[in-house]
Amino acid sequence: MNAPSKQPAATAASVKLERTFQRFTLNQRWEHAILFLSVAGLLFTGLPQKYQTTGWGQWIISSPERLGQIQQIHHIFALLLIAEVLYHLIRGISLMARRRLPGAIFPTWQDLRDAWQMLKYLLFLTRKKPVYGKFNFEQKFTYWFLFFGIGILVLSGLVLWFPLFITRFLPGGIIPAAYLAHSNEAIVAAVFIVIWHFYHVHLQRLNLSIFTGRLSEDELREYHTAEFQRLTGEATVKSGNQGDSQ
Amino acid sequence: MSKTRLLRATGLVLAGGMALLSALALAALSTSRVQADPPAQQTEAYCLSCHSNPDLSLTLPSGENLSLHISPDMLSTSVHSPAGIECEACHTAIKTYPHPTINFQNKRELSRSYYQACQKCHPANYEKTQDSMHAAAAQAGNQAAPICTDCHGAHDVKPPAQPRSLISSTCGKCHDQIYQQYKNSLHGGALIQENNPDVPVCTDCHGVHNIQDPRTALFRVNSPDLCAGCHANQDLMSKYGLDSDVYNLYNLSWHGVDISVYKAKWPTTWHNSAVCTDCHGVHDILKADDPASTVNPVNLLATCQKCHPGAGPNWTGAWVGHNRIDQNRTPFLYYTEAFYASFIPFVLWLSIIYVGLQIIRATVDRVRRNLP
Repeated sequence: MNAPSKQPAATAASVKLERTFQRFTLNQRWEHAILFLSVAGLLFTGLPQKYQTTGWGQWIISSPERLGQIQQIHHIFALLLIAEVLYHLIRGISLMARRRLPGAIFPTWQDLRDAWQMLKYLLFLTRKKPVYGKFNFEQKFTYWFLFFGIGILVLSGLVLWFPLFITRFLPGGIIPAAYLAHSNEAIVAAVFIVIWHFYHVHLQRLNLSIFTGRLSEDELREYHTAEFQRLTGEATVKSGNQGDSQ
Repeated sequence: MSKTRLLRATGLVLAGGMALLSALALAALSTSRVQADPPAQQTEAYCLSCHSNPDLSLTLPSGENLSLHISPDMLSTSVHSPAGIECEACHTAIKTYPHPTINFQNKRELSRSYYQACQKCHPANYEKTQDSMHAAAAQAGNQAAPICTDCHGAHDVKPPAQPRSLISSTCGKCHDQIYQQYKNSLHGGALIQENNPDVPVCTDCHGVHNIQDPRTALFRVNSPDLCAGCHANQDLMSKYGLDSDVYNLYNLSWHGVDISVYKAKWPTTWHNSAVCTDCHGVHDILKADDPASTVNPVNLLATCQKCHPGAGPNWTGAWVGHNRIDQNRTPFLYYTEAFYASFIPFVLWLSIIYVGLQIIRATVDRVRRNLP
C-alpha cells in the first residue's frame, strides 16, 4: 500500500529531487487529528474536574454553572472520541474480515530484540542501532499503550456517565473503581503523551508524517531502513557510517 | 379592680427605707458595669414584703391576669439572689413605692421589654442573640420568638446545663416535635437515659445564643464539620468503638469532594450532594446496625433513592465513602488501586529513564560527530 511516488531521477548535481513515501493514509491522518482534538479537549475539561479542590482547578471552574458547562463539553469530546474509537475498531475488523489488515503495527518478537538492542545502544554497549520496519517498537508501544489506555478511559467514563444503568447489570463496586481508574488512567495517558510521544515526534526529530502522510526518502532510509528496503528493493547503507546518502 | 387591689396591697408598705432605696438604686444605675459592683442594697426583703403575697396580681389591657407574686424560695434557689444580685438590678425603673405606671398591653410585651435588662450584665451573649434566627423571627414580627427569659427563666434563673439534658428539654419547650425525635435517637437516648456527657445536645450543633437557620445552604455545607467535631476525634470515638476516619474518608468521596468545593467557593449556593445528615438523619440518628436506621443495609437502598431515584439493588455497593479500601469489602476498588499504585510510577519512570537515555546518547553522538 505504500508505493513510492515515482519521480524523475536528478539531472544535475545541484538539483535534488526528493522522493517521498506514503506512511499514513488520509483516513489515518484524519483519525489522528480527531484523536488529538478529542484527547486535548478531554484533558482540558477533565483535569480541572479531577483537581477541582486545588487553586488552579477552582480558577477554571469559577462558578457552579461553569462546572456544568465543563462537564457538558467533556461529554461532547467523549462522544467524539467514542465515535473515533468505534470507527477505528469497525474499520480494523472489516479489513481483518477481508484479510487486508496491515500487520505492521502488531507487536512481534523482533520488537523485543530491537528494544534490547536499543537499550544496549543507549548504554553505550554497542554502536549499532536496531534496524526498524515500518513502525519501530517505540511507535508500536505508543499505539498499543494508548489503545488500551483509551479503552479503559472510554469504558470507565461510560460507567461514570451512566452509573444507574450500569448497576442494573454490574455490581455497585464497579463505580468507585471506575472513578479511580478514569482519574488515574487519564494521568497516565497524559504523562505518557507528554514525555514519551512528544519527545519522539517533536524533540528527537520533528516528525510530521502523521499530518502530511509522507516520509522523505532520507527519513525512511534512516529511521525505517527495513521498510525502505522492502519498498524500493534498494540496498541501504546506514547514513551514520557513510555520511548523507545522495 | 385588680389595680386598686395592687395599690391597696402595696400601700401597706410605706416603709421608711423608701429614701434609702431611691438613693441606692440611683447609685446602681450610675454605672453600666453593674456586674463588677458590690450588691447595691438589700432590696429583696423590701420588695418581697409585698410581692410574696400569692394573691398579688393585676389585669393587663389584653385581659391577661399578670401574677405579681414572687416566691421567696424560688428567688433563693436562683443564681442571682444568692450572689447578691437583687430586684433592682433588673427592675431598674422601679425605685420605690408607689411604682411608676406600666403601659404594657399584654404579658408578652412586658417580657419583651423587661428582658432588655439582661444585657446590662451579659452584653456579649445579648449581642449574640441579636444575630440569631430567633431575633430575626422577632424582627419579622413574631412576638413569640424567644428572649433570654424564655430559655433561662426570669426570677428563677438557674445554671442552664444542670443536668445537661436540661438544655435539650429547654429547646423542646417550643421545638417539641424535634425534641421527641431527638429523645428517641441514639444521641438523645444516651443523654436522657444515661446522662452521657459525650453526646451532643441541641446547642452543640446549633450554637447557643447566635443560633442560625439550619435550613440554609451555608449551614448545609458546613454541617459535616459539625459532625466531625466529635466523629473525627479519635479519643472520643475509640470510647465507643467508632472509626474516627469517617470524616476524612467522606471528604475524599464523590459527595465529600463536591461539598468541600462548594464550601470553599460557593457556600451560599444550595448543593444537593449528600452531607452526613442526608443519609444518617438529623435529630433521629440511630446506630447503623439498628434495623430502623436509614443507613442499615435493609434501608440503605431507600435512602440512596431519595437522591438517586432510579437506583437498583446493586447501587448500594457503590457506596464506600466511610471505609478504607479493603480487599474483601471493596475488591474492585482494591485491585484497581493496587494496579495504579504501581502502574503510574512504572509508566512515569519508564518514560523518563528511556527518554533521558535517548537524550544523553543523542547529545554524546552529536558532540562526537563535531569533534575534529
